Amino acid sequence: MASGARILVVDDEQIMREGCIRILSKEDWEVVTAENGEAGLKAMEEGEGFDVVLLDLMMPGISGMEVLEAVQRVDASLLVIVITGYATVESAVEAMKKGAYDFVPKPFTPDQLRIVVKRALDKRALQREMDVLKSEREKSLRDIATEKSRIVTIINCMGDGVLVCDRDSCVVLTNPAAGRMLGIQESSLIGKPLSECSIEPTLTETIMESLRSADSTFPTVSRELCPSDSASTFLRAHTAPVKNDLGETLGAVTVLQDITSLKELDRMKSDFVAMVSHELRSPVASIQQQLSVILEGLSGDLTERQMRMLTRAKERAGGLLDLINDLLDLSKIEAGMVVQYKEPLQLEELLKEVHKSMLPEIEAKSLMMKLHVERAVPPVNGDRNNLKGVFTNLVDNAIKYTPEGGEITIRIKGAGKNVRVEVSDTGIGISKVDLSRIFDRFYRVKSEKTRQIVGTGLGLSIVKHIVEAHLGTISVESEEGGGSTFTVVLPAGSISST
Amino acid sequence: MPKILIVDDDPDLVEAVTMILESKEYDVIAAYGGIEGLEKAKTEEPDLIVLDVMMPDKDGYAVCKELKGDPQYSKIPILLLTAVVSKISTTRYTQQMGLETEADDYIDKPVEPAELVKRIEVLLGRA
Repeated sequence: MASGARILVVDDEQIMREGCIRILSKEDWEVVTAENGEAGLKAMEEGEGFDVVLLDLMMPGISGMEVLEAVQRVDASLLVIVITGYATVESAVEAMKKGAYDFVPKPFTPDQLRIVVKRALDKRALQREMDVLKSEREKSLRDIATEKSRIVTIINCMGDGVLVCDRDSCVVLTNPAAGRMLGIQESSLIGKPLSECSIEPTLTETIMESLRSADSTFPTVSRELCPSDSASTFLRAHTAPVKNDLGETLGAVTVLQDITSLKELDRMKSDFVAMVSHELRSPVASIQQQLSVILEGLSGDLTERQMRMLTRAKERAGGLLDLINDLLDLSKIEAGMVVQYKEPLQLEELLKEVHKSMLPEIEAKSLMMKLHVERAVPPVNGDRNNLKGVFTNLVDNAIKYTPEGGEITIRIKGAGKNVRVEVSDTGIGISKVDLSRIFDRFYRVKSEKTRQIVGTGLGLSIVKHIVEAHLGTISVESEEGGGSTFTVVLPAGSISST
Repeated sequence: MPKILIVDDDPDLVEAVTMILESKEYDVIAAYGGIEGLEKAKTEEPDLIVLDVMMPDKDGYAVCKELKGDPQYSKIPILLLTAVVSKISTTRYTQQMGLETEADDYIDKPVEPAELVKRIEVLLGRA
């Protein structure tokens, strides 16, 4: 406000007006004068945007005091400096009481005037700055309020439940959906510690775990839960801690999803598959049974041709039965019925059993099978029959896809906290295209070489399911014509089962 | 000749099994459901029972449990006919079977005639 400020001088004495112009113009301030109160008010009303008014109190016509009052009404922020002719303190004090900013007693030196006006202008500048800040602050507060209201509305409208806890595990924010899913009144959750909210224990535990996590990269934890009162509702809870910039936990946010209908659909699908499979299996089994009785010659002698056709028919029926059984296995696995009985298992023993049960096939193709076991391989925690199924399937495949005289090697090794089993063969191998899809359901490698090999295309898909249900992984390395190696990695067993 | 009771709700299967057993000169009686099977087991007192698992009126487990729980009939060997075949299912089934039934043996449907005869001979102590 050093330059460009506008000053209005209201004084009936021409000498005073001219004097003020002379003194103030040097400061690069714009000075406008008025010879009486009316002219001064008129200048102000015309909106010339003055910063400071120098006002003589003693004037003919309307008095300085009246002008002061009028100024206050028009623009209270305008700073008025009173010039008092009598040098009486009383009138100056009265003017100050009425809202004048300062006073200059007549006569005054140019410096006195300059100092007083400069001070007023500084004050004016500060005032302006303050006003700007104030309005900015009001705007931000309004923005925050709007944002807050927007967030509250979004949260309240959400179909998913939201539950926010502070670091003391008190509920600080929730929404109607959460109340509905948990079967608790939303209002009775707010402000209460979780432990008093009669929330499903698994959920409380998940949130507490998240709050306790010291790790700055604690990931979102997803858990399925079933609220205590009804077994017919299934929820999925995603919980993550909220951290500040120092990595301290401030609270935890939980989003709840109602997955009841998904579960129901899944169950219906599995039920359907299981039902269809049962209905399919009985007649096919019956057909096979009848064919085998006829083929035994129990219903009379057969010609060679009849024998050949019926043998083929029986094989085809057998293939159909395999497919149905694999489907059933898959639907059971997907229905979560796998890995029911976990126990510590020595894979060496398991694989010896598998080897023994496959001996006829191995010998029929004059294959060589070797079993290499590292010393002191830890046991794994698993379902004996399921894992036996896994390795039977892998060895069975190795036998099927390895030409006569080939070699199959099984290696069992410890690998950190895991146990690694490799099933290698010297078979026909798998092309790159097929490699990526080999674990897909119903996928079968189709080529000249595989045409004679029967299978349903479900085996490896089931194997993968079982391995993953054991928290393990399965991978394959292969080259066309260069054999294949399937590697199963399973976590070494701790006795506790999960 | 020993008398064998075959219990299955599928008449085609009963016929097929009957033919296999009759070819070995066994005396075969048939029942087409769990309740009928239980009745015939008590009235006919067979030397062995070939019992289907999945039957609509009364399943094989229930029939087996009732007979094995009755001292008068508990000595009759029971060969369960299970409809679950092939690798993984079979082995899981084996375990469940061991836990749930007191059957003397079980065999998957469809049965190979020679295999069925062998199992029966073992159960009858004639192997």
